[in-house]
Amino acid sequence: MNIALLHQVLEALPDPAAVFDTRLRPLSVNKAFTAENSRHLDIEQRSGDETFQHHWQRALRGERTEFVWVSGQPARHWRISLSPLFSASRTVESVLLTIRDIQLEVEAQENERFFRSVLENLPIGLHQFTPEGWSKDMNQAQRDILGEMHPALQHQPYNVIADPINRRNGLHALLEEVKHRKIPVSREMLLKYVEQEEENVTRIQPLYYEATGFPVLDKEGEIAYLFLILSEITEKKLAVLSLEKSERLLHTIVENLPVGYIQFDNYGFIRRVNQTQRRLYDSAGLNEEQLGLNELFLRVLQEGKVVRIEKKLEYTLDVPGGKVERELFLDLTMFPVEDPVDKDQLVVALVNDITEKKRQEIENTKAQEFLLQTGEIGKIGGWELDMGTGKMRWSAQTYKLHELPPYAAMTVEKALSFYTGDSRKKMEQAMAACMSRGKAYDIQITLSTARNNVIQARTIGRPEYRNGRIVRIYGVIQDVTEQYKIRDQLSRNTELMRLFFDTIDMGYAVMDKDGRVNFINRKAQEIVDHGKVIGRNIFEVFPMLVGSTFHARVQQCIQQQAPVSFFNYLPELDKWYEFLLAPMQDGSISIFTRNITESKKMQRELRKANDQLSALNKYLVNQNKQLEDFAHITSHNLRAPIANMKALMHIMSETDNEEERVLYVGMFKEVIRNIDETLNDLIEVVQIRKDLNVEKERLSFSDRLQKVKDILFVDIESSGIRITTDFTVAPDIEYPRIYLDSILQNLLTNAIKYRSRERSSTVHFRSWVVDGGVVLSAEDNGIGIDMERYGGKLFGFRKTFHKNKDAKGIGLFITKSQIEAMGGTIEAYSKPGAGTKFIITFRNE
Amino acid sequence: MKPLHSIFIVDDDPIHQQITQIMLDRQHISDAVKKFSDAQEVLEHIREHRDNAAQLPDLILLDLNMPVMDGWEFLEAFSAVRETLCKPVRVYVLTSSIDEKDRERVNDFDFVEGYLTKPLTSDIIGQLGQ
Repeated sequence: MNIALLHQVLEALPDPAAVFDTRLRPLSVNKAFTAENSRHLDIEQRSGDETFQHHWQRALRGERTEFVWVSGQPARHWRISLSPLFSASRTVESVLLTIRDIQLEVEAQENERFFRSVLENLPIGLHQFTPEGWSKDMNQAQRDILGEMHPALQHQPYNVIADPINRRNGLHALLEEVKHRKIPVSREMLLKYVEQEEENVTRIQPLYYEATGFPVLDKEGEIAYLFLILSEITEKKLAVLSLEKSERLLHTIVENLPVGYIQFDNYGFIRRVNQTQRRLYDSAGLNEEQLGLNELFLRVLQEGKVVRIEKKLEYTLDVPGGKVERELFLDLTMFPVEDPVDKDQLVVALVNDITEKKRQEIENTKAQEFLLQTGEIGKIGGWELDMGTGKMRWSAQTYKLHELPPYAAMTVEKALSFYTGDSRKKMEQAMAACMSRGKAYDIQITLSTARNNVIQARTIGRPEYRNGRIVRIYGVIQDVTEQYKIRDQLSRNTELMRLFFDTIDMGYAVMDKDGRVNFINRKAQEIVDHGKVIGRNIFEVFPMLVGSTFHARVQQCIQQQAPVSFFNYLPELDKWYEFLLAPMQDGSISIFTRNITESKKMQRELRKANDQLSALNKYLVNQNKQLEDFAHITSHNLRAPIANMKALMHIMSETDNEEERVLYVGMFKEVIRNIDETLNDLIEVVQIRKDLNVEKERLSFSDRLQKVKDILFVDIESSGIRITTDFTVAPDIEYPRIYLDSILQNLLTNAIKYRSRERSSTVHFRSWVVDGGVVLSAEDNGIGIDMERYGGKLFGFRKTFHKNKDAKGIGLFITKSQIEAMGGTIEAYSKPGAGTKFIITFRNE
Repeated sequence: MKPLHSIFIVDDDPIHQQITQIMLDRQHISDAVKKFSDAQEVLEHIREHRDNAAQLPDLILLDLNMPVMDGWEFLEAFSAVRETLCKPVRVYVLTSSIDEKDRERVNDFDFVEGYLTKPLTSDIIGQLGQ
């Protein structure tokens, strides 16, 4: 071989290269080899190395071979190639050895492997797509999310943008936005459900993800790839949802508290007022300023603790025919609260209307004053005996009663000395029994005063216990001389009274507080229609009175010591009686009664007639309204096709041209179809309005909505509308099934038909209760409607407001007819571009 | 030369549009009968061509009961525009309504030349041309 030529060839090679003879002696070496070899490799030195020897032997056998050689610290990589050079006789004469530094290559590979494994093992799903949405690659987490049955994992082409499911869950919109704006976009979405087994129950749990789409742009700024990152956030989402739910619950509780509730933020702005408070404001025409809440608010904030005050407000109320002055007592409690979530300082005011209680208190004070006065007038004095000291105390009135100067020293003996004979004995016994056994007494005795005047006295004594021992005896003493005289007189008058009471046309009886009849006049005797009643217990003679209204009112009369009047129906006699019960001084009760059956019955008849009249009136008003509706419908909707028909007949009769006639026949068909359709719609409506007693049943909103969703499955799928519900407050209703289905179907159809193309469509159904009646709302985010312009016609027959081909203008008319036929109302709230909300108030159940 | 240069039929009922056009054509009353289903479109057309007599109709036959913009709204809007037009545009209401209330309400618009109930007859068409 021409060694000079070999030198030149080797030198021309860019990589280090050398030619060795078969015994590994260099024949020719280029400069690059010399440099590289001496710097890093030292081939001659390491030629004994096993790998090298293996490949060297293969080269000597005539094979081309190469291997990677690692050397140095940190390790560098070279690829060593050995190429045998043959002599003319095909024997290996020498070997060409070239060296390539593959360090960068190795590092790049290593990097890629590293990043791949990182991405592969990321705990979030990562999915790579072509700009058109075709699935390219994904990591393990993403495979787990999609599940092995997902088409993207079935080795089939899968397009994420074309997948109809993604139109519903929002992924489609997200990726379109990424493509359109070429920026990362993140959104929370519900992507799938998992089944969870829990003690024989399979629960379907929704999984929420934060989905982030981002584009990878090429040098020209065009999208090279779309990436999707899915990160599961179910727990966070569920926590947020349950927080919202508990907030709603709290709101409901606060709203329905029986006391007024006002919540302020830390600037003093009112953030929440519940209905009790609103009612209070409304009924009295008050505002916060009048309640003086500003000062209180400052106090609460400064002191950081509960402040409670009572407040009296005077206000004027407009009533028909003038103004009245009213007063209002409020119990205001204000306290600071820290918002558990954002740690804001809140202040809450609880407002309790205590006017009634206050009024009662004032009444009580008055009553007490009155009692004091009665003490004077009724000649009642008080006394007490301290059992420990044996000291006796009398009130001024007691001294007066005994005709002693006030505050003369008093002992038990001295007190007893005013009684003589039987009275003294009675008094001593009563006192002894009270002191030893705690027996209270209420006795009437004769008392001889300091000035030797004899009076009749009633004395009452009661023990007071402390730790089980009698520590005090106290009581009153009353001068009943006059009553005594009167009673004496009374007994003489009884006969006279009987004569008097027998002549009045009213039942009259006197009974003691246990029910024993002491007096009964002739009329009352007739009413009870029973043998001897006098002297017997009325509740034993007439057991049906036990627990009756009469019984309850007797007790009320005894307890309150005030007259009570009431009506009572006695079913055994089919008669109504009016009663007046009046307590008498001796504890018995006067009963006045008269038969009011006739007037009561008349009253009831009157009320019944009135009810019927107003029902009839309502029915007539409804009928009138319907007649007006139908007059309008026939004038507009039926006349139009008939006018068309008339005109068609006319133009048809004026032509002999066969072609034209064929055209007219076609038009005739269309007109007749139109009339037919209008008539069918009308018949449907008439049927609803006629069928007022259609059968009702208890229906669950969510069941019925599911049924409707099944029917509208195709429309729901193709529109991608997201349907959400909240029927927790009012889950069901008593209603005709076909009506409820039709109402729900019309509401849902409307939301689908008039959805907006600019956003993913949603409709939310919610039910709740107002004043005992169920209310249902359906709120969508569709194109909405200009209520100012079309509000008046929204529920009209054959009224349409959109250029939408599907619009027939019959759905809402039927919905309104069905709701009104059952006594309910429907309202709509909307703005163009801002969706529509329908609120249906079903009649109070 | 026909009595009227052009007539606009404004009605959302396609059958009625067609019948009316046939009847108008038969009496050779106008060179151009144009049909519109949307009153809004007519209003925009008129506004746009307020200075172009050739594009403005001589006569409008207006239905009352229409979606989106009904006849009443059209009349309200038109009463504001008509003073600015370069030639007089006559308006007739042509409706299926025989409701007296509608008839009275049309009287509020004094520029409306007549309240016609559907269908048109040859006699009435003859009068329109005068």
